Amino acid sequence: MSVETTTESAPAPRKGTNILLGLTLLGLLLALWVALGFATNAFWSPNNISNLLRQGAMTAILAVGQTFVIITAGIDLSVGAIVGFTSVIVAWLLQAGVPLWAAIILTLLMGVAIGAFHGFGIVRMGLPPFIITLATLTSLRGIGLLITNGSTISITHEGFTNFSRADFLGIPSLFWMVILVGIPAFIFLHLSRFGRYLFAVGSNKEAARLSGVNVDRTIYLAYILSATCAAFVGLLLASRIGIGNATQAEGWELQAIASSVIGGTSLFGAVGSVHGPLLGAFILATINNGANLLNVNSFWQRIITGLLIIVIVYFDQLRRRGSR
Amino acid sequence: MSSLEELSRRHEDQAGLAESDTVPRGAPILELRGLQKKYGLVEALKPVTVSFLAGEIHAIVGENGAGKSTLIKLLTGVIRRTAGEVFWCGKPVQLATPTEAISRGINAVHQEVVLCPHLSVAANMFLGDEMNRNGLMRKAAMEKAAQAVLDDLGFHLPAGARLESLTIGQQQLVATAKAAMRGIRFIIFDEPTAYLTRQESAQLFRLIRRLRDQGVTVVYISHRMEEVFELADRVSVLRDGTHVGTRLIGETNENELIALMINRSIEQIYHKEQVPIGDVIVETKGLSGPGFEDVSMTVRAGEIVGLYGLIGAGRSEFALGLYGRQPVTAGEIVWEGRKVSIPNERVAMALGIALAPESRRDQGLCLNLPIGLNINLPVLKRLSSGLTIRRGDAARNAERQIADLRIKTPSRHVLASAMSGGNQQKIVIGKWLSHGARLFIFDEPTVGVDVGTKAEIYRLFGALLKQGAGIILISSYLPEVYELADRLHVFRGGRLVASHDHRAATHEDVLTQAIGS
Repeated sequence: MSVETTTESAPAPRKGTNILLGLTLLGLLLALWVALGFATNAFWSPNNISNLLRQGAMTAILAVGQTFVIITAGIDLSVGAIVGFTSVIVAWLLQAGVPLWAAIILTLLMGVAIGAFHGFGIVRMGLPPFIITLATLTSLRGIGLLITNGSTISITHEGFTNFSRADFLGIPSLFWMVILVGIPAFIFLHLSRFGRYLFAVGSNKEAARLSGVNVDRTIYLAYILSATCAAFVGLLLASRIGIGNATQAEGWELQAIASSVIGGTSLFGAVGSVHGPLLGAFILATINNGANLLNVNSFWQRIITGLLIIVIVYFDQLRRRGSR
Repeated sequence: MSSLEELSRRHEDQAGLAESDTVPRGAPILELRGLQKKYGLVEALKPVTVSFLAGEIHAIVGENGAGKSTLIKLLTGVIRRTAGEVFWCGKPVQLATPTEAISRGINAVHQEVVLCPHLSVAANMFLGDEMNRNGLMRKAAMEKAAQAVLDDLGFHLPAGARLESLTIGQQQLVATAKAAMRGIRFIIFDEPTAYLTRQESAQLFRLIRRLRDQGVTVVYISHRMEEVFELADRVSVLRDGTHVGTRLIGETNENELIALMINRSIEQIYHKEQVPIGDVIVETKGLSGPGFEDVSMTVRAGEIVGLYGLIGAGRSEFALGLYGRQPVTAGEIVWEGRKVSIPNERVAMALGIALAPESRRDQGLCLNLPIGLNINLPVLKRLSSGLTIRRGDAARNAERQIADLRIKTPSRHVLASAMSGGNQQKIVIGKWLSHGARLFIFDEPTVGVDVGTKAEIYRLFGALLKQGAGIILISSYLPEVYELADRLHVFRGGRLVASHDHRAATHEDVLTQAIGS
């Protein structure tokens, strides 16, 4: 038996492909921007760029939370409904005269509670993630409609609604929120042991458990983070449109899942990053924005998004198979 | 004509197996010339040249990791060869896909049943080959035909029953009947008796002989020498991926085959470090839980306690109970003189228990994650400051285990799934060496591991004992526990039925106690 000693400088295939995928996505995004710059006059206008960043920001934050869940080989279908529901909650609290800071904290805590409920359903009741989050998807919309009696709640708090329109250093504040979420998310997923536990649980629950990983707590954590990200997006959306409306953010869960998958997350679990879904979300936002500028029928935008998901994930599969 | 022959003829007609693709009994039907398989740099099968004759039972024996499963996968088209030629009835063929193998009449019955548990026995037997009339399935006709085949084979099984209502052994018989029905020329049995009762084994052997008498070539892979001598016409031996010889069964004996298989004497492999035995580490008193009952034993420092028994005898269940994975329902655990309760794995780890579980694939490893992460998983807490992992320390820890255990990999970033069985086992062990413990439980540590690695693992046991640890060694391979254990406990039906000091009983006695009479 030969003894091969290993060295620090040995090749790192996994890391390499991760970075490669990130660069490919970044290249795709830049290529789209350049192409749209040539194709339309309006694309590079400051107005459109901030619009694009605002559009992409909310999906991006949802996609990061979603990615935590998908890495554990789960799925969170409820995030769109949570956005709509929490927009109602924050509008309701603000109109009831609750101070802004308290309204924000209470809304985020609502996200924590919803995520904990998902964890409870999965860990304690043994329900599949698909089912429990599908159930909250429909019931949260119902609860939101009950609270508003089917209508919307207008937010009169000026400071709150101005936030989404504000810029900081020339960049929309909503985009700063992506950075605010993205950096801690990166540290959590890639540098902390809890991030490793998400991967371990998604790869092999039993092996993780026998290695002393608290699997139940890890699952709770993933769903709480996802729901809290969604509640945060609910705040941003309420600020942007100035109302609380339970039917808002219809289908955003699919946008979030699509962004995550385009960003290289595997729906089978244990593969994913933070930067991938962020890029994925802005690629989707760019396509929608570009299609609008080019006067492409909005029905076509949906079809293009679908095709894009198939193409990108197919190439990703090819790459993975090739590296075996 | 029997219903089996009738059905297999029907299948042959449908599949269009060419009449020219036949050879007379005793002539080579499948020839392998220099067949080779590499996974990256690892040579799983060195060039093998062997021919299989029409109408023979050809046994293949070898240690775990000798290349038997690689050979089967090559023959059934599951993986593609790296080099070499394959001749089927004298003509070169690709055997690149499972479909191609099946269309030529090559089938395999795997050790683990690959059928649909929710469908009926008949539906499983006809799966992919249903009888139709005007586009509709003829369910009743299929069930009748399936029943006729089962009766014909002497298997007392109902064709209408849901597959999952049968025992594993019975399911295996269904898989065999399915393969036998498919107009086969060439059938591979991969350790088919592992889960069978004696009666079921006897039924299977009758079927195998009958297939041979019909001119089918049977490749029979087994660990059990007595089965090989009972069934086979010829036997080929593989060792470390090399074909080391083929013998007519009448011209060889068990000793010669074993010598070919392991190429060294038993004493050289099972080297047990003699360590003075110290204080009691753990004592269980009447411990019961799911799958085991009333188990009392002690483990002392410097001691290997062997647990022997058949699969499902309760050994692994006992280990999982002791480790806190399964709830203990009765009895007590005394750890270093103190009564403790172990409600979960983390408590067990904190006390100083480490468990290298039975199945690397299902319990031991996160296969699609890197080696380094797998090794560090139990100790990430220790490798973290505050929220973040100290990456340098994590890298050093992983590299040290890789070097100490001589895990053959270019890098710690390689996925665990890319490793061979022996190296995967070393990763599982490495996890627990870096964690450290007073009591190590090794559940089947040498399954699928080559002989050289086995010897390394046993040497490692010696090193752990010298540091004052105790070891529980669970094994279904009698020579291993027999030679290594200071004290040997025999399990049967969830209970501890007998205990022996080192080499105090004969192999036969221990076997009889494990099987029961």
